[in-house]
Amino acid sequence: MPVPLEAVMDHTHTHNPSGRRELQMARSMCWHCSSEVTGEYFCERCVKVQPVSKDVDYFTCLGFPRRLSIDQQRLEAKFYEMSRAFHPDFFQGKTPEEQTISLANSALLNTAYRTLRDPIQRAEYLLDLEAGAVKEIRTTPPADLFEEILELQDTLEEYRSADRTSAAGQQLRTKLQDEQQTLERRKTDMETHLQRLFAEWDALQDRGEATDAARATRDKILKQMREILSNRTYVKNIVNDLVATIS
Amino acid sequence: MAYSDKVVDHFNNPRNMGSFKKDEEGVGTGMVGAPECGDVMKLQIKVQDDTIVDAKFKTFGCGSAIASSSLATEWLKGKTIEEAQKIKNTDIVQELNLPPVKIHCSVLAEDAIKAALADYQKKADEKTK
Repeated sequence: MPVPLEAVMDHTHTHNPSGRRELQMARSMCWHCSSEVTGEYFCERCVKVQPVSKDVDYFTCLGFPRRLSIDQQRLEAKFYEMSRAFHPDFFQGKTPEEQTISLANSALLNTAYRTLRDPIQRAEYLLDLEAGAVKEIRTTPPADLFEEILELQDTLEEYRSADRTSAAGQQLRTKLQDEQQTLERRKTDMETHLQRLFAEWDALQDRGEATDAARATRDKILKQMREILSNRTYVKNIVNDLVATIS
Repeated sequence: MAYSDKVVDHFNNPRNMGSFKKDEEGVGTGMVGAPECGDVMKLQIKVQDDTIVDAKFKTFGCGSAIASSSLATEWLKGKTIEEAQKIKNTDIVQELNLPPVKIHCSVLAEDAIKAALADYQKKADEKTK
């Protein structure tokens, strides 16, 4: 019986924490011949493609440890290798079950690759995975930043309705250009800070300590990352608005 | 997915857009944001004798976020503090017919109401001290 498409293609960011221990590349028993699957993506006995488990996270799917620095070339190579194995084009003449699995695997693989390729998305995703264990990961809204953004939006509004060729219009424009530069510098600073946190996270994971101190450090890093990533999004949005209006 | 007529209406004719001075007598200010999409919402209430006599908002975000906060200010006016506490994001979802991907906009509006009420309460408590 064919596997319903929507069931196998439902790859959301949420993961079942209880299923984490059984993370594996393919199900351990072949759906077709019921023998133990020893190959990585295919059953060695009946040569059928195996569905990637829905509980597999993107790092595991692509065979990378849960770290924030990733070798881009290795990631790309792995993605191409797996794409070739799963691509629906190679399953044209196969059974409907295999076609469905190939499609679902390819969809998961594409999402996994797109997410891990971008450092910011990778960090957001890691936070999603790890957030369950971190209390109060939602930080208080940055009141100062909001004040600034709202004020800037008012100035933008003023500029939009002003005569841009007038002296007042020109003045507003200069002011907004300055703001844009300041904000872009701040965004860069945030990204530098993030890089530092990424390195701290990786180092902590590499040490693999299970002490209370290590757990506290872990939570602190995650919380700081969450905070900077959020603030970066707010800054990015206002910079985009600035660019769209004055350039 | 297209926006519902009510969202479009609030988007095109936002009610109560603007702001009060933060330190004005009886004014409570709530500022909230959605880190996922970067939307920023400011909602203010003006209270006299335990009743919200006026409300204003400023929202920079998508149509649903603007509509949610616009609707929230409409609902807030004339309500007592206690009644205002009872406004739920699900009421906003229902009224505006928000699709699942936009439910967080209504949550943002509820958070903004709660923050504004808390700010008003805090200022009132400080005054009676």
